[in-house]
Amino acid sequence: MERVRHHWIVRVTHWVNVVAVVIMVGSGFQIFNAYPAFARKGELFCCYPWAGQPIPGWLTFGGWLAGARNWHFAMMWVLVVNGLVYLTFVYLHGEWRDLVPRRGDIRDSVQMIRFYTFRRKDHPSHGKHNALQKTAYFMMPIVGLLLVLTGLAIWKPVQLAPLTNLFGGFVWARYWHFLATIALIVLSVVHVFMVFTVDPYSIRAMITGKYDDSLSPEARNARPFQNLAPPRASIRRGAPTPPDPPSTT
Amino acid sequence: MTIDRKNFRLLGALGRRDFLVAGGGILSTALLAACESRGPKSAEKLLRYAERKNMVVERALFRHTVMDVPSARAHDAGNKLPSYFISETVPIWDESVRGKWALEVGGLVGNPLKLTLEDLQKLPRVSYRVNHYCVEGWTAIETWTGCRVSDLARLAQAAPEAQFVDFESFDKGYHESWDLESAVHPQTLIAYGLDGKMLQPAHGAPARLFGPVKLGYKNTKFLTRVMFLPKANGGFWSDQGYEWYAGV
Repeated sequence: MERVRHHWIVRVTHWVNVVAVVIMVGSGFQIFNAYPAFARKGELFCCYPWAGQPIPGWLTFGGWLAGARNWHFAMMWVLVVNGLVYLTFVYLHGEWRDLVPRRGDIRDSVQMIRFYTFRRKDHPSHGKHNALQKTAYFMMPIVGLLLVLTGLAIWKPVQLAPLTNLFGGFVWARYWHFLATIALIVLSVVHVFMVFTVDPYSIRAMITGKYDDSLSPEARNARPFQNLAPPRASIRRGAPTPPDPPSTT
Repeated sequence: MTIDRKNFRLLGALGRRDFLVAGGGILSTALLAACESRGPKSAEKLLRYAERKNMVVERALFRHTVMDVPSARAHDAGNKLPSYFISETVPIWDESVRGKWALEVGGLVGNPLKLTLEDLQKLPRVSYRVNHYCVEGWTAIETWTGCRVSDLARLAQAAPEAQFVDFESFDKGYHESWDLESAVHPQTLIAYGLDGKMLQPAHGAPARLFGPVKLGYKNTKFLTRVMFLPKANGGFWSDQGYEWYAGV
């Protein structure tokens, strides 16, 4: 049964976010490469073993330091405004209910991990998202907020000194900004991997909004690379479709 | 359940068009980010626009009373402070060729000045232990000694129309212009001393501009002239694409 899975505001902000994040990360790497280390001059930095190693050029964007900075400082507004539109919508429209952590999420996450590692046969039943997915989607705006705050802290370390000091000063704020970027990249890469190997049908849901619940990972009992094709039952014309999963957990 | 070829074709349930749209979108963003691209040329205008808007935000955020205060526990850079100039060799003021060095203060001023190093040292002297914020991302703590640009402005009787200050050097035409608010910030100095010693050629002798409220490249070394102007006059790096405002 087909229905609209994502409101158009969610779909538009999702793809705007893809472009904004890609450009922010690429230009951020280019900026990082101008000084691929964290130590203040005359000091050592405890917690970065790869000091002096630039990030590969093909992962960077902006061409040179000034170009990357111009992109970074322009795109940051797109990222922030887009993020605020999304969060406001999710709050007002009730979608936050599908995303906020709840009691039982840890138990459900354990079951999902058991399923993905073949220690459980059937896909755990869940609401719009499974517990692992939910955790990832909930983490993303939090990492985003951390990126914005640490970004402001290293953009204006004098004028916004209290904020910079909150993160332990300029050197540490720059380090948190970098770590938050890595966290966002990890979340995004896992997200994209899972989309393509577990639920490619969700790409359509994020473009047109339409999603067929009989093709959900739960209905297909899908693990990464497993049961990507629709279940046989739903292929035969007139075959009964599995019941809709409950809409909330 | 087995997956045969026939079933796989049914992956088309995704919709070929949707797949192409999604794939195309992902591919083009990936390509855009790849290959050390500078991004589309047409974006240049938009980036300039964003820079102007950012400057409005940054100037609104600027507070004359906010000082840069490095942590007392942090180490000074000492001789680890990088030395930078655009000439082939360290620019040195040769008195036998150019005569005695003097700082010229001019432009929209009621009282143009020519100040020798001794004259500068007679002006109210201040020292600040502050951060040097480099555009590259590193910082260095140093103690700078000199006179305030605000004292110079008062002494030269800068006109109210002079909302910008250009700092020129004898380093191959290097200069950077500042907005007046940042230039008369209490920590913005015409510095002739570094870490308790007289400034050395490597760091801009005989005198240089130093203020922690701007990125390093705005702080002209090897000073020759301070010009009070009605309009901004760009700068060596800001003319090449770096932000003109560059406040921190």
